[in-house]
Amino acid sequence: MNDSTASGDDSSGNQAAPPPPKAIAKKKRNLPGMPDPDAEVIALSPKTLMATNRFVCEICKKGFQRDQNLQLHRRGHNLPWKLRQRSSTDAKKRVYVCPEPSCVHHDPSRALGDLTGIKKHFCRKHGEKKWKCDKCSKKYAVQSDWKAHSKICGTKEYKCDCGTLFNRKDSFITHRAFCDALAEETSKPPATVSPLSPPTAASSPPPPPPLPSEHEDSTQTDVVLPDNNNHVTEMLESVKPDSTSGRTLDETPVMTNLTSGSSSNGSSSSNVFASLFASSTSSGSFQSQTAGFSNLFQAIACSDPTPAVAPSSSSEPVALGLAVNQGSSIFGTAGPDHMQYPPAAPPPSLSATALLQKAAQMGAAASNTSLLRGLGIVSSSSSPSVSHDGASLAAGLGLGLACDSGSGLKELMLGTPSIFGPKRTTLDLLGLGMAATGGSTSGLSVLMNGGLDVPAATPFLGREFGGQDIR
Amino acid sequence: MDTNSKFLNPRINNGGLVHIDMQPSTTTSSSDSAAEGGGEAKWASKLLRECAAAMSEKDSAKMHHLLWMLNELASPYGDTDQKIAAYFLQALFCKATDSGRRCYKTLVSVAERSHSFDSARKLILKFQEVSPWTTFGHVASNGATLEALEGESNLHIIDISSTLCTQWPTLLEALATRTDDTPHLRLTVVATTAAAKSAMKEISPRMEKFARLMGVPFEFIVIADLNRLGELTKDALSIREGEAVAVNCIGALKHADVDERRSVIEMMKSLNPKVVTMVEEEANFSSNRNDFVECFEECLRFHTIYFDMLEESFAATSNEKLMLERECLRNIVRVLACDDKVEEHDSERREKGRQWSERLREAGFSAVAHSEDVVDDVRALLKRYRAGWSLVLPAEDDQTGIFLAWKDEPVVWASVWKPSK
Repeated sequence: MNDSTASGDDSSGNQAAPPPPKAIAKKKRNLPGMPDPDAEVIALSPKTLMATNRFVCEICKKGFQRDQNLQLHRRGHNLPWKLRQRSSTDAKKRVYVCPEPSCVHHDPSRALGDLTGIKKHFCRKHGEKKWKCDKCSKKYAVQSDWKAHSKICGTKEYKCDCGTLFNRKDSFITHRAFCDALAEETSKPPATVSPLSPPTAASSPPPPPPLPSEHEDSTQTDVVLPDNNNHVTEMLESVKPDSTSGRTLDETPVMTNLTSGSSSNGSSSSNVFASLFASSTSSGSFQSQTAGFSNLFQAIACSDPTPAVAPSSSSEPVALGLAVNQGSSIFGTAGPDHMQYPPAAPPPSLSATALLQKAAQMGAAASNTSLLRGLGIVSSSSSPSVSHDGASLAAGLGLGLACDSGSGLKELMLGTPSIFGPKRTTLDLLGLGMAATGGSTSGLSVLMNGGLDVPAATPFLGREFGGQDIR
Repeated sequence: MDTNSKFLNPRINNGGLVHIDMQPSTTTSSSDSAAEGGGEAKWASKLLRECAAAMSEKDSAKMHHLLWMLNELASPYGDTDQKIAAYFLQALFCKATDSGRRCYKTLVSVAERSHSFDSARKLILKFQEVSPWTTFGHVASNGATLEALEGESNLHIIDISSTLCTQWPTLLEALATRTDDTPHLRLTVVATTAAAKSAMKEISPRMEKFARLMGVPFEFIVIADLNRLGELTKDALSIREGEAVAVNCIGALKHADVDERRSVIEMMKSLNPKVVTMVEEEANFSSNRNDFVECFEECLRFHTIYFDMLEESFAATSNEKLMLERECLRNIVRVLACDDKVEEHDSERREKGRQWSERLREAGFSAVAHSEDVVDDVRALLKRYRAGWSLVLPAEDDQTGIFLAWKDEPVVWASVWKPSK
């Protein structure tokens, strides 16, 4: 994935070093790039790794870029059944480590299960970025990434919460920093949990567009945040059901069709997810990243539903992800490092980074990227969240995703199993759904991280996807 | 506001007599002539030059005649010629009546009274949107700063600039998305003007908030107890052990007293910075400050380009454009009609890149070329603005930095420096 995940990787790597708490240890197995311990670890030199056609047919010596292609090819040789099967060593699962010694994926315990995956990872992360976009000067190591980007560079618009549209990322970023939409919340005291408003995020039909403060109050009521709550609030502005129907819908007409059903129930929001994915593959009908995201969150927040789970945690799954991430992804384990910075400069929120990135960095990317990233955000935050904030938060996260994204993603998974590689990821995803009560949300994390690290997904999910995410 | 734009188009001959053509001046003709930089074909420039020359020759009759004429033709709401005429006329009038200082103070206090964070923000962001005049320096400096600080985990950027932090969001974003771990960033902003000091109260929470949003560990410090840049000391900046220091100097040194510039640059050197980025507008009101006509010509040259740029960049009725023009008026009056000892306010003795380079070298800095990547970034930046902008790379060996050019006239200079070994 991109930096956010990279840091997430780091953090999980760090977690592995000291004897981790049980919750983490449990999680660890599911983290991205955590291969089957029985798998054969393959370390290739950069040269070999980048060599094309390194899967050679032992019969005709024809070379293939992918093992799968070789296997398909071998079938054509009409070998006896016995021979057609891979030998016992062949059958053994192979995992690949990154040749770069400083890389987290250099460690066999973090090897990736796909050669093409490690190849693109190596290229993107450690290779020279020699492909440069003419329009925005963004650089790519993989030509296909660059091509994909070039096609859509500058065609996307960025929209600030204040309604201003931008077609350039840096203008948007600068504006965003100075816009009152951001500042309004700054001026508020970093509110603690407010007793004023009940956790209503899920239930009630949207009231007339509320005051910003109401947003904040109800937002913060729902989630017990470790610190700097306002942080989260800004993100959540577009997540709240009321703001969704009031503000977001007005501002993002493009999304209307998608959001229309979102307030009703979980299944409709899974449609949202599905649609997001669908549209993204078809090169993105979304004009605005922000819109895409609002709706992602909206989907999560609105559909929030099931009384089966603790209401407090369920109402703001996204907030949870954001809150938790502040300390975690960047600094490794959330707990101790978290204290490293004075309150004046609270630990950063990687998810927040990604959130802005979703609108900014991804700008040119198809909206599927942002969706994935959005999910990634939540997911990457999820494992630290357990240790850091307690199970209820995680449960909330799990719930939110289980209810809407669960089904949406499942559709995705079912439709394109190849994307996320190993089947167990899918199972993990479904496990995530269960995790709503159990507090373990690692599944999604695996899905997202692992899934994104598997570049086989790239061609399917959209051109920009891989380039944005693995880097 | 633009009702006068089809004003009569007068021409003068050498005797200073005016023939007035009845043809309306068109906007295209005025912009075409601006390409010549000196504005040869422009009536305003001609009249103004004549007037300045008459003034320096103490030809009182001619001067009065020309002032009268300019007064008839000028308008701050007209076309570029009329605006140029109006603003320089005011400076000439102040000079003639020795009222420059009073006029300048009035203009400044009017500006300060109407100043608000809101309007300043709007102005800056709008200007960035329509013109690379400021963003050019931001991209060049941020790129060079990021490269110089790469791999460092504790960054301290000392921002001695007039950009009101508008260049930092993109840097924060770049830090947040760079491949290695996000470093800790301390940003110390030195604010010397009243407007900047009050704006910082608004900007400070915004920057902190945005840094949180981007996930950059961030500390924001404003040094607001100075009246002049010359008062800034190394102690005030409280450099910490292990910090990688970068000094960002955009449009600020020109406000320092000419005599203090050396010491400011030496102070910067004493910080032992990894990098110093410096951006200034390419104009020289410094070495010629004792030669009125020469200084006037240079001031007119520079502002003619600037007004032409504003005219083409903004909508005709843009309020932001008007504010920028009024800022020019203050600068023009400051440069042409005030002695250098106007207290409590900043100098406008600009210097060109070459002059700044000399100062920096004298203080023990060596120039660093902008990397290919940064130059590419700047090129990409310019592509998004209207035609007319270009990037000029240093042509001669002793030239440093890169230039932003408007219609082939270098207007902004950006450079990178490191302490000499």
